[in-house]
Amino acid sequence: MPKIEVPLSDLLNMAGLAEAECLGEMLEPLKAELDGVEGDTVKIELNDTNRPDLWTAEGVARGIRCQREGARPRLSRMGDPAGEIHVSKDLCDLRPFIAAFTAEGWEVTEDGLLALIASQEKLASSFGRNRRTAAIGFYDLRGIAFPVAYRTAPPDTVFHPLGEPVEMRLDQVLRNTESGVKYAGLLEGFSMYPLLTDAGGQVLSFPPVLNSNSTGRVDAGARRLFCEVTGTDWHTVNLTASILACNLEDRGAVIRPIKVLYPDGRDTVTPIVYRDTLEAGMDAIASVLGIDPATLDIEELLGKMDYSSVKVHNGTVRAVMPPYRRDGIHEMDLIEDIAISRGLNSIEPLLPPDYTVGRAAPSETAARWVRTILVGAGCEEIMRPILTSSDKITGRTRSPEEPVKISNPMTAEYAVVSNTLLPALLEVEAASGHAVFPHRIFTVGEVLRRAACGLCETSVSVAASSGDSDFGEMHSILGALCHYRSLSLKLREQDDPRFIPGRSAEVLIEGVPAGIMGEFHPEVLNRWGIGVPVSAFEVTLESLR
Amino acid sequence: MSGESTRELHPLESAVLSWLVSHSPAAENELPKNCGLDAGSCRRAVQWLLSRGLADAESSEVTISVELGPLGLENGRKGFTPETAMLKAVAEGAKDLRVIQEDDLFDRGRWGSAMGAMLKAGVLRRGPEGLSLADDSGGVFARIWEMVYLPLLNGSDLTIDSLPRDVSEEVVSRAPKRGRARAEFILNENASAFVSITEEGRKALRESLGKVTIGRLTREMLASEDWRKGTFRRYSVDFPPARIHIGRHHPYGVFLDAVREKLLAMGFQEMKGPLAESEFWNNDALFMPQFHPARDIHDAYYLEEGVKVAAPDRATGERVKAAHENGGPAGGRGWEYSFDWKRSLRAIMRSQGTALSARTLASNPSVPGKYFGIAKCFRYDQVDATHLPDFFQVEGIVLGENINLRHLLGLLKLFATEVAGAKEYKFVPAYFPFTEPSVEVHIKHPELGWFEMGGAGLFRREVCLPLGVKVPVIAWGLGLDRMALMALGLSDIRDLLATDLSRLRAMRFAPENLMGGGENA
Repeated sequence: MPKIEVPLSDLLNMAGLAEAECLGEMLEPLKAELDGVEGDTVKIELNDTNRPDLWTAEGVARGIRCQREGARPRLSRMGDPAGEIHVSKDLCDLRPFIAAFTAEGWEVTEDGLLALIASQEKLASSFGRNRRTAAIGFYDLRGIAFPVAYRTAPPDTVFHPLGEPVEMRLDQVLRNTESGVKYAGLLEGFSMYPLLTDAGGQVLSFPPVLNSNSTGRVDAGARRLFCEVTGTDWHTVNLTASILACNLEDRGAVIRPIKVLYPDGRDTVTPIVYRDTLEAGMDAIASVLGIDPATLDIEELLGKMDYSSVKVHNGTVRAVMPPYRRDGIHEMDLIEDIAISRGLNSIEPLLPPDYTVGRAAPSETAARWVRTILVGAGCEEIMRPILTSSDKITGRTRSPEEPVKISNPMTAEYAVVSNTLLPALLEVEAASGHAVFPHRIFTVGEVLRRAACGLCETSVSVAASSGDSDFGEMHSILGALCHYRSLSLKLREQDDPRFIPGRSAEVLIEGVPAGIMGEFHPEVLNRWGIGVPVSAFEVTLESLR
Repeated sequence: MSGESTRELHPLESAVLSWLVSHSPAAENELPKNCGLDAGSCRRAVQWLLSRGLADAESSEVTISVELGPLGLENGRKGFTPETAMLKAVAEGAKDLRVIQEDDLFDRGRWGSAMGAMLKAGVLRRGPEGLSLADDSGGVFARIWEMVYLPLLNGSDLTIDSLPRDVSEEVVSRAPKRGRARAEFILNENASAFVSITEEGRKALRESLGKVTIGRLTREMLASEDWRKGTFRRYSVDFPPARIHIGRHHPYGVFLDAVREKLLAMGFQEMKGPLAESEFWNNDALFMPQFHPARDIHDAYYLEEGVKVAAPDRATGERVKAAHENGGPAGGRGWEYSFDWKRSLRAIMRSQGTALSARTLASNPSVPGKYFGIAKCFRYDQVDATHLPDFFQVEGIVLGENINLRHLLGLLKLFATEVAGAKEYKFVPAYFPFTEPSVEVHIKHPELGWFEMGGAGLFRREVCLPLGVKVPVIAWGLGLDRMALMALGLSDIRDLLATDLSRLRAMRFAPENLMGGGENA
């Protein structure tokens, strides 16, 4: 889930709130949680992964303000394009899309600058998939001459990157700057790199890596901004630009569009003012919410969610989503927003009306039965994680069967999936040398065997240790399990590296191989650092059913 | 009181009374020897007798016994103290300390201090011609050897009171209170009480004579009916018992069983599914786009190359693919990208219990129907106090012709009050990729405050329709870890899977209260 940190004063100010007291509650309809307030910093977690507009301070503030003041027109007063961007043909495979606009009349404050940088980072990393599908650049508009060219350039092209002391070649930027190293992967395999230059030929930026040190630097006090978004995904690029334009408009800037001319002859005026219209039948609203929609002031409810042009006509609600949202797919989206706006806690809960019969899974019933018998036999139940290390299975326990490996383990400690539960029992023994003896322990749990990948398999493992625990004790306990299940038990001598030769056996239940039993080999005990003899058996739960 | 005083004599009590009847008053410290008991049993018997008024203790008097300390024993082996050795040397003509010090029977320091002490006491004299005896008898220094060393070396007991005053004072001065390891003498204070039999004691002993007291009832007694000839010894019923370790379910296992039981009681049917899943059932079938951030490699555990999981049936697969690409049977726009089958069939460790719900939806579930599954799930997280590499989730679905948001709220309310026993709850709008509308239920813990207990939503039609379900479906899930920690009173989730048996044996849990009651923190 995206998390953001924003200055509290800026957020309250933008949201029109006097104090932070009820902030947590105001965030609920935005599917956002207050993660904490530290000094002047508020941490907010955004749960809706389809609402990138909320991953910015301006977006959260807007959501809160609308709940109290209703909808406002968005990007409705944009004039003619302030300039053009010409996109060159050879960007097609590399990074084909761009959207841009200018924002004038808002003097960038310190807080505002921080918020701008935070939104830029958050949107580009989370929504823009680490700048692949979308990366953002802000510029001081004063130094830029239109039309701007979005084109490619060879790696030896020289410019002065933002924050660097000297001019560098593009390939040097990728090797020698922090940003370059971080995003070089996005340009790997290409012989030409994207470049943004203005009509005077000066380099604005090297997207998606670094701005230039001249026009690409925005300081507090700036009043005229140029903003561009480049990327590999049309929707992501354009929605990001629309979100940023709405944000700057909320801060008081006047937005002017930019006309983007693509090499195939198409042109687009950006930011695109999306007007996704959603419809929901009154009958659908009634059946989803369980409420008579005639009792709802739908226009007001949707207004609080920043919908515009809300109309109820012929049993259908029509409403237009604000331009920063494209997550509406069908009527359910509209209905959910009505419910949220109405307030979930004001809707009376009902129990599901249908009678159904409860039924445990047969394997769980069997597992519970086995666990109860084993407790009756004086065994203490243990529980351990399923992920473990191959050292514990094939190394220390000398288990003959290789476990299935995780291809992306986080640590060697949890790098394979248990195919046997005996190592878990030995691990407990190794940690319990000081606990009063005798120990009789067991565990019933799922395992993953290489041969049966993708199927459920549950294993039953029992171990005992004390001065005089032995094979016979294990045989007795398994005998009791089989006795109460009317199953025949037979042991067939079988040497196994885990156990003392001549003191290990294959377990046959109803004549079918079901597992193994034995006294652990001193070498195994030694590898686990266990100082007492341990005997054990492991059978499949299936064999006891 | 009457029960205590009229009960039969314990065999230990009889043994002590039998001695006391003819030897009162008797020193308590002599009793074990005289009654043929070990010291512990005898002490207990005397306490019982005193508490029942069958015996009296007279004012005890304190005696101080003398023992040889390590240094004293060393002297004993040598046959001399430094003083007696020096007296002998001087008597034999030695005039000078340096000559005497050549004998390394004792080290130089001890020869020196012996000489100093004897000069001071006036036993030795130092003139112009050197050392000589001032007191031929050797005074107190010789008598200590005779009156203290010799009896103790012979194994006799010796009390300080039995010694002449000058000797006892010298002994006390050589018995340090601290540093017994280098002490010459050790003094032990013995508070020795004198015990006498009382009239009641005589009566009880008389009455017990000729009576058989039965301790352990045996098969033989039952067969022969000999138990009729005796009386049963009464027990001290509140005597602390030995502690035993019994077979026991794991506290976390009991917790999970309690959750299962509550869901079964509410009419839910249990689902099971494999640990190793395809991305198809884990994600695709739930309308989570293949470019969804939660599907990045760092959020799930992928199985090694070559490990295969079964593909879904072809028709279901095609419908799910269409839902992703263009909405398919669900209408709408879908996610507008090109679905990748290879990705769909990759094997991962199940990351959410909802995978079970997806499988159930696709296998012709009952309508109306309620299902749940307690599923081990795996997330790519650093293991710490709040994250385990694998953990249990309980999730499920409710299907019905006329299910709506209010039933969803009703279900969450039921979970809050019935499963967790919460008194206060509230609903909060939520986001899950596969449901809409989505709601969380937050409950108030009496001490820990509000927390999210679980969530639910109506499955999106992009989930239901491709899997062949046309009725509304509520999908729900409860956070088990947090509740388990509260129920068990733990603060570190790793303790749920502790390896140390003694730690496990100390964990307590009352399954009737999932909101707390454990005291294991």
